[in-house]
Amino acid sequence: MAAAALDDLKIVEYAGMVSGPMCGKLFADMGAEVIKIEPPGVGDEARSHPPFPADLPHPEKSGLYLYLNTSKKSLTLDPAAPRGAEIFKRLVRDADILLENHPPGHMHRLGLGYEVLHALNPRLIVTSVTPFGQSGPYAGWKGTDLIEWAMSLTGYNTPTLVNDPAAENPLRAPGRQADMMGATTAAAATMMALFHREATGLGQWVDVGCWQAVVNTAKIEMAVYSYAGMPYSRLRANTKAGLEPSRCRDGYVYVLWVVDSHFEALKELLGHPAALEADLFNDTAQRAEYDDALRPLIQQELLKYDMDWLVREGQKIGLPIGPVLTVAQAAEHPHLRARGAFVEIDHPVAGRFRYPGPLVRLTATPPTARRAPLLGEHNEDILCGRLGCSREEFAGLRAAGVI
Amino acid sequence: MARLPLEGIRVTDFSWIINGPQIGLWLAAMGAEVIKIESQVYLDFSRLNPAFRADGNSSVNSNGVYHTLNYGKKSINLNLKTPRGKELAYELIKRSDFVLECYPTPLSRRLGLSYEELRALKRDIILISVSLLGKTGTEPADWVGWGPMACSFVGTFDAQGYPGGPPRHTGGTWPDYAIGTAVVFHLLAALRHRNRTGEGQWLDASMGETVIGETPEWYMDYFMNGRDRRQWANRDDVMAPHNTYPCAGDDKWIAIAVGNDAEWRALCAVMGNPEWTRDAKFAGQSARWQNSDALDAHLREWTRGQQHIELAERLQRAGVPAGPVLDSVELHQDRHLWEWGYWWELDHHEAGKRVLPGIPARLGNVPRFNYSPPPDLGQHNFEVFNGILGLSKEEIAALTESKVIY
Repeated sequence: MAAAALDDLKIVEYAGMVSGPMCGKLFADMGAEVIKIEPPGVGDEARSHPPFPADLPHPEKSGLYLYLNTSKKSLTLDPAAPRGAEIFKRLVRDADILLENHPPGHMHRLGLGYEVLHALNPRLIVTSVTPFGQSGPYAGWKGTDLIEWAMSLTGYNTPTLVNDPAAENPLRAPGRQADMMGATTAAAATMMALFHREATGLGQWVDVGCWQAVVNTAKIEMAVYSYAGMPYSRLRANTKAGLEPSRCRDGYVYVLWVVDSHFEALKELLGHPAALEADLFNDTAQRAEYDDALRPLIQQELLKYDMDWLVREGQKIGLPIGPVLTVAQAAEHPHLRARGAFVEIDHPVAGRFRYPGPLVRLTATPPTARRAPLLGEHNEDILCGRLGCSREEFAGLRAAGVI
Repeated sequence: MARLPLEGIRVTDFSWIINGPQIGLWLAAMGAEVIKIESQVYLDFSRLNPAFRADGNSSVNSNGVYHTLNYGKKSINLNLKTPRGKELAYELIKRSDFVLECYPTPLSRRLGLSYEELRALKRDIILISVSLLGKTGTEPADWVGWGPMACSFVGTFDAQGYPGGPPRHTGGTWPDYAIGTAVVFHLLAALRHRNRTGEGQWLDASMGETVIGETPEWYMDYFMNGRDRRQWANRDDVMAPHNTYPCAGDDKWIAIAVGNDAEWRALCAVMGNPEWTRDAKFAGQSARWQNSDALDAHLREWTRGQQHIELAERLQRAGVPAGPVLDSVELHQDRHLWEWGYWWELDHHEAGKRVLPGIPARLGNVPRFNYSPPPDLGQHNFEVFNGILGLSKEEIAALTESKVIY
């Protein structure tokens, strides 16, 4: 069996939905022990979110929850109850990382603010991932993935080139990409805090805002303004970094001709149509300036060919061109299947399904996803086994709704 | 200056354009010594792109794209097409913890940057290869492409777009950054593994696979139900209203997302409880979700003509999740981003004073990351060739003359 890179780490995840749990999943799939604290009774809100097999809601069958919580242990616990807070403290006393995604101030109100936890365990790293971060004018704002995405320039820039702005309102990316940027940013920053701890012996508080994380995905579009003095506009797409897909005979291709050598390759692929040889289109800057004239000319040529032919022959001569596939086509694509981009996971209630595989391949310590836990599946293990609760105490906690 | 997390770590960095440099940027900001190998034979395009020149200045040292992705690093000239150039790169790799590259697979093969070759040089090296669709598998492993092409391949563009319309492009070059933070996490796990066991490894990072893993609802719905979610626009599985709505001004919008009855009542109150909100079509979360098109039409009438930032603030004060769609000028002036510490100010010898984005995370014990200026082309030649590789002044001059250091 391959080694696990993080199997010496103990993590408490007090988080729901996407941003915090995705961060926890990255650690758990790399071997860390992640104890996920879920509200007694209903569990993580993601348990109530689609997709469900046959569209029938069931708390153990949410595709969103099952994916985001692989390799974790589930403990139902209410830290707002005095006994719950006490158990929470015992858990973090010997943990390396606490991961939470509640609104700023929530932990403090529970008596579990950073200072309290730091005093209990000075080596503890507390990672908070929230919509806008812990301080600043929007810290108290309500965020959702749509709000954070739309407020970033990447959101304004989706779709990227519009003809009729009144009819083409800014769109969210499929999925929850602001939450995901927050999750991976939090995971990277938490690892930095671990390396810092190895040098200093001390934990610290890591503050990540999903909005800042997604704002950071538009660095180039921002530079158009801060360096060239041009406000970025999707009406002009003045970086030409992103273009819309182009129609071909049997579908769509995505092709870019920013760099001179790529434009040369595109002309070669299309058999050097006379119109594209105009001096007007000689270099990157001119092609950007005369984009309105150039784009329809290229579009007209692409319509003469099929997607597979364009991609195969274009790639042969170094042109960045790819097919526009649907999710279903990608899920069955021989390349992705050959790489093992999807993994099959069996779950005692939900059943056996393919899941997306790891975000990144590692040869010596591959991320390995094991099935998500049932709600409260590890209550007894953790409370009686780890924390030494007696049978009577355990029954009492259950009766009182603490677990 | 407080200790940075990655002091003492060295990276030989062959990467260019966006995704690799963004990874190197995180490492440099956190204290690693990131040595960027550059050459006039093929310059990083981000030193050249005319759209980002600092006030029209075409110097390779003042381009905005290069600056925003390469501050904190070192730069050396090395022509990898010469045998001696390749040898020197290998010498540097022998003295490094990480090697970072994001060339198309055929090019990295020609340059001798496979894991087997590098492992033979240094047994515990960690190689990070970032690519469009991975460096193994079938033909797409050899493709050239930019970040957005990963989205086109894995279904994002098709799932984007308006109902019944064509596939659409998802904002800018977002997948380049999505894979960036995912790789930073995993490479630090690999470093930890190496520190514990002495074993290095290869990270084969595919932008396509990162995007797949970050779009679970789409893939799980297909795997569970065979459903292909196409042209999904701003539809949510639960929330309604959940959309962007027009405001006063040129291409100005507000996003509003309502998740429960309390937020809905708050929204109605801000609107002044108009008659239409009492329609049975909109009573209860699931009724609003069913009738979201009609709901959106009413909301558009209400938002049109209002100021996007002011309206979002008013809705937030009432407890309604809302946010203005901000443009590049508004983001540069945004008080929250400044107070939180996202922006920093560069004073550059050619480009002057510029505002740059920092690392979007705050670490309580690391008050400031390494935000030193982006390097001029070859700025660190002497420091690296003499200081790390032990070449004399004369040798360096001869190598410069023979266009190895070039």
